[in-house]
Order: sequence, then structure tokens, then C-alpha cells
Amino acid sequence: MATLEIKNLHARVAEEDGEQILRGVDLEVKSGEIHALMGPNGSGKSTTSKIIAGHPAYEVTDGEILLHLEEGDFGDLEIPDDARTWNLLELEPNERAALGIFLGFQYPAEIEGVTMTNFLRTALNAKLDEREELLFGEDEEEEEEDVGYDTSPMEGNVDDGEVGVAEFQKLLKEKMDLLDMDEKFMQRYLNAGFSGGEKKQNEVLQAAILEPSIAVLDEIDSGLDIDRLQDVSKGINALRDEQGTGILQITHYQRILEYVEPDYVHIMLDGKVVKSGDASLASELEDKGYDWVREEVYEAA
Amino acid sequence: MSAQLPANLSEETVREISDARDEPEWLLEARLEALEALDTLELPDVIQTPGRRWTNLEALDFESLVDPLNQSDETTREAPDDVVVLPFTEALDEYGDLIEERFGSVLDLETNYLTALSAALFTTGTFIYVPEDVNAEDVKIRAEMNSRSLFSHTLVVTEKSSSVTILEGTESGDADVEGERYFSNLVEIDAGENSYVQYGSLQNLDEDTYTYSLKRGDAGTYSTINWIEGNLGSRLTRSDIETELNGDASETKIVGAFFGHNDQHLDVNARVWHKAENTTADLVTRGVLDDHARSVYEGVQDVGRDAWSTNSYQRENTLMLSDESEADASPKLIINNHDTEASHAATVGQVDKEDLFYMVSRSIPEETARNMLVEGFFVPVLEEIEVDEFREDLEELIAARLD
Repeated sequence: MATLEIKNLHARVAEEDGEQILRGVDLEVKSGEIHALMGPNGSGKSTTSKIIAGHPAYEVTDGEILLHLEEGDFGDLEIPDDARTWNLLELEPNERAALGIFLGFQYPAEIEGVTMTNFLRTALNAKLDEREELLFGEDEEEEEEDVGYDTSPMEGNVDDGEVGVAEFQKLLKEKMDLLDMDEKFMQRYLNAGFSGGEKKQNEVLQAAILEPSIAVLDEIDSGLDIDRLQDVSKGINALRDEQGTGILQITHYQRILEYVEPDYVHIMLDGKVVKSGDASLASELEDKGYDWVREEVYEAA
Repeated sequence: MSAQLPANLSEETVREISDARDEPEWLLEARLEALEALDTLELPDVIQTPGRRWTNLEALDFESLVDPLNQSDETTREAPDDVVVLPFTEALDEYGDLIEERFGSVLDLETNYLTALSAALFTTGTFIYVPEDVNAEDVKIRAEMNSRSLFSHTLVVTEKSSSVTILEGTESGDADVEGERYFSNLVEIDAGENSYVQYGSLQNLDEDTYTYSLKRGDAGTYSTINWIEGNLGSRLTRSDIETELNGDASETKIVGAFFGHNDQHLDVNARVWHKAENTTADLVTRGVLDDHARSVYEGVQDVGRDAWSTNSYQRENTLMLSDESEADASPKLIINNHDTEASHAATVGQVDKEDLFYMVSRSIPEETARNMLVEGFFVPVLEEIEVDEFREDLEELIAARLD
């Protein structure tokens, strides 16, 4: 079981006199759990998610983010004893992803000229490569290959990577069926011209393919109609139920929580997690609003 | 200011080139006229911004770059049977009258100093003739430059309702030539009624070579001339692609890709003149610059007074991979007929940081992600290419440059 542990996280915008946004976030998410992180605009939810993934726009000024791994987190792959706890803040964003951190973006990038198939297969193979390198050190057997030749913007490096084209197509089709996504997406350019809902479905699809230990989903529910919300919710539940992914779901609204029932609900205010509870906390929040939390927290203090 | 006439250039030189190739009298005369015009012609205009002249052609030392009597190239030509594709000189025997009529008819040989120099001295090039109703795919011309200097002239004539797709590749051969070199390439296309031409050109000369290229098309009624121009090689390239839309309902696309690195300098230009009714033009250029490379782009859409119901679009995007690279872009739109739908835009920017982060957050290492974004950036150009081999070559060269 993997555990994402955020301890006393302080962070600011990485520029001169950058605004302090996080003021001591504590949070723990384990594989198989669903956490909802709620809070008003500007409370630091999105920033927290971006810092977990390693966005360069923020500078961590204090605290740490640890990822604890256990045997079995990567299927049959053995995890050496000395590679079971990782300080994510010391890792590059792609290394964090390789160890099982996934960020679902609120506004996914639209990338012309890179097909979904090429992107996802490249990502999956890069993840497997990088993970092996992190766990076991440099892979000496494989010489740097000249990848200049068999590359194509439509298909990617045909011969490159552990997961071949055919195998990947099969995997992709399976996951797309699950999310009720049309196969035509496979040959489309990454998010280019996708509707808001299609982009969000695509985020969940990517998580399904990359099989993260912990998926942080930043407002995956915003801009979705009810049908799409159900598809996306089904996808999120499947991540947890079938892959044992731990979910940290950032949302403004109670709505998605009816379909993706959280085990834990956390409320952020002014850069801190100020209140945690079970699913009933979200309902209570819906009834009483953030002012209620604010009053409770600051009166207690 | 006109450039100095190289001392090794005289009427004798031109006669010697022409004699050696047993050319008809009219061609010798045309060469001699061009030679004479050198005295008064200027170098091509280049973009100037305050305090700066971006492409400094005056600085070229033609005296040492031009070695007219030792030109050498190895050129292969592949074509389907029903289209005529011949070395320019060989074509004169059988198609002399047609060539005499059309040579220099689309591209004014006295456009500037460099075109006249090219006309006076050219020793290689291709004549392509597509008879009426013939559809010819995959005409492939591959030229290797093996000398200090090389001047090439290509003439394409398409008859009524014919079509042809052409790939012209230019690279440096194995010949051991020390120091700087000069390659000049003039191409003219005379597109007959309702004919279709795609002319793709891929320049990958070594980085000691200076190149000048002017390609110009005359599009007849209902005809289409589509240019695709890839520039990856050379030390300095000055490339101009131009179409005159002279026939009603004629169309053109000018699609360009360049990828400069080291201290390459690429000066690329796309121009279209709308001179008839219902004409359409689409100018698309995508360029990438790394290291200290520089690019200059000028695009011109000129809508004439009689060009009723015109559609004209222009986009140029330059992507900079290093802080030391430089780019200047100048898209121009001149409208003399109000019945026009037109747009023009140019952007210069770096790889989008959010795009990059998105990809990296999916485990893709930063360099791979950047390379994918660059390859993706060229896709709109790659998608236009109809000769598969050309597309594959360009993809390969782009991938190799990213390694």
C-alpha cells in the first residue's frame, strides 16, 4: 500500500516577493482511499495539487512530501528496501509520475500534432523505464539507441519501449470502453478541439492507463454535464476499485461526491487543512457554507 | 547598391558554359543579357529593423564563392512514364521551342543581381513537362552539390487538366571542397488551365554553403500551385517563394518549414499576388530555432484591384528553443479590392511551459516532451506533403536535429 504524506507544507509563488500560498498543509492519502479536498477559491487546493506533481511555478519554503511504498505497489515488481520512501520534493515531475503520482489537470493542455496514441504510449513506456531506473539504478544493458529513425509524429517511436504498438492499442481500447469514450479519440491530437467534458474524460483515461498509486484530481468535475459527470465518476471509482489507486479529489461542489463517495473529506482555508471528517462533512459544508468553517476554526483558535 | 562583378566572370565564361553544353543561340543570348544586366541590378531587398539589416547579402564574397567553370553535381531523377522529366540541357533537343517560349517567362531573370547571376551561369536543373490530362505522382529529383558553386534552373510546365507532385531534394555530396560554397536555385512553374502542381523542396546543404533560391509560379485559370519548402541546411539561406494568381479561380498554398541550429541564418519569404477573380491563397510557415540560429520571415499577400472575391490567409509561427536564437517576422497584407476575406498573423515564442509540464507530469522526460512538442509543431506542414518520401525525409531530418 502506497501512502502520500504531506507534512507542514509551506509554499509560495516562485518569483521575487511571490505570494505565500500554503501555510502548513498536513494530509495523508493511502492507496484505495478516496479523499475529497474542498475549500473556497484561493484557499490553496490547486496549488497543493500542483506542488505534489512538481510544478515549477511554486517554491516550497518548508515541510515535506513523502511517498511511502510497499511490496506489491508495483505488481510483481520487487521494491528494494532502500527505495521504499521517497522525498518527492527532490524528484523531477516525471520521476514523481514514474513512482505513481498522477495529477489530473483542471485545465488540461491542448497539444496539436501529438496524437493521443503516441502521447499515451510514450508516457506509459517512459513510466516503466523511469521507475526501473529509480528503483534499481541506471540500466546498463540498454545502450542509448538512435531513436532518430523510426519515429513518427503519428505513432511515436515504433520500436521503442516495453509496450509495443499492438499491445498498447488493446490496452487503450479496453480503458476507453470502460470510460465510454469513442475510439476515434485515439488518432486525435491530445486534447486539441476536445470539449470540456472530453478533456476531463481524457484525464481519467490517462490515469487508467498509467495506473498511479495516488491520483490527485484537480476539479475534475468542473464544467461537466450530468452524463459526463457519471462517466467520469465511474472511471474514478474504477481506478480505486480495480487498480487500488488512492484518490485525492479537489472540488468545490458536493455534486460529484454523490457519485464518488469519499472516505474522508478535508477542508482547506487560507493555505491550511483546517477540518477533516467523513463524507458527512461535505453535506454539512453544503448546508452551512465556508463561513461556518471559518467561524469554527478561528473561534477555536 | 549592386555587388561587385567577380573578376572571373566575363562574356567568355558564359560562352564557354553555353558552348560546352551545345546550347541553342537563344539561350546563349539570354545568358549574355543576364550577364550584362548584372552591372545595374541590385541584391534582393531584405528586412530592416531600426539599426539592423537582418540578412547581409552584401557581405558575401562572390569573388571567392563563385567558380563558374567548375560546377559539378550529381542529380537523379525518377518519374512515371507519361511525364517528361529531363536534365535541362538534354531537354533542349526535343523541347527547345517550348523551353525558349517559357524560360524566364514566369520568373523575370533580371529580378535582381542573384537571379541574373544564376541565369548567366546555371549548369544544372530540370525540365518537367506534364501533358494534357496526365496525372503524375512522385516525381523525385535529388541533387548533390559537388563543387564550390552551383547554379540550377528548373522549369515546370503543366498542360490543361494535368497534375503532378514533385519532390526536389538538395544536399552536399562527398566531394572535398574546402571553405565556403554557394548554391543558387531558380524554379519557375507555368501551371496551365485546371492543372495541379505540388512542388516540394527540401534543402539540406552542409553548413558551409550559402544558398539563394527564388521559386515563382504563374497559376492559370482553375489551376493550383502548392509549394512546400523545407530548409534545414546551409549556413545562410535566402529563399523566396512566390505565386501569381493570374487565372480566375486559381489557388495556391505556400507551406514552409525551417529548423535552424548552430549559427545558421534563414531568411524565408512567401508572397502571393491575387490578380484575378475568386482566387485563394494560404500561406503557412512553421520554423524552429535552436542555439544561435536566426530567422527572418516576410510574407506578402497582395490583393489587386481586379481580384474580386478573394480569400487569402497567412500564418507564420516561430518556436525558439534557446535564449540565444533570434527571429523577426513581418506578415504583410495589401488590399486593393474590398471584396476580400483575409487574415494574417505571425508569432514568435518558446515552448509552452504548461504544455511541457503537462507532458512531464505523465512521466515523459523533459527532453523527450520538448522533442514531441517540436515534432508536433511541424505536423501542419507534414500533413500537406503528398510525396511520402519527402514527408519521411523531413521527419527524419527534424528528429535527427532534435537528438
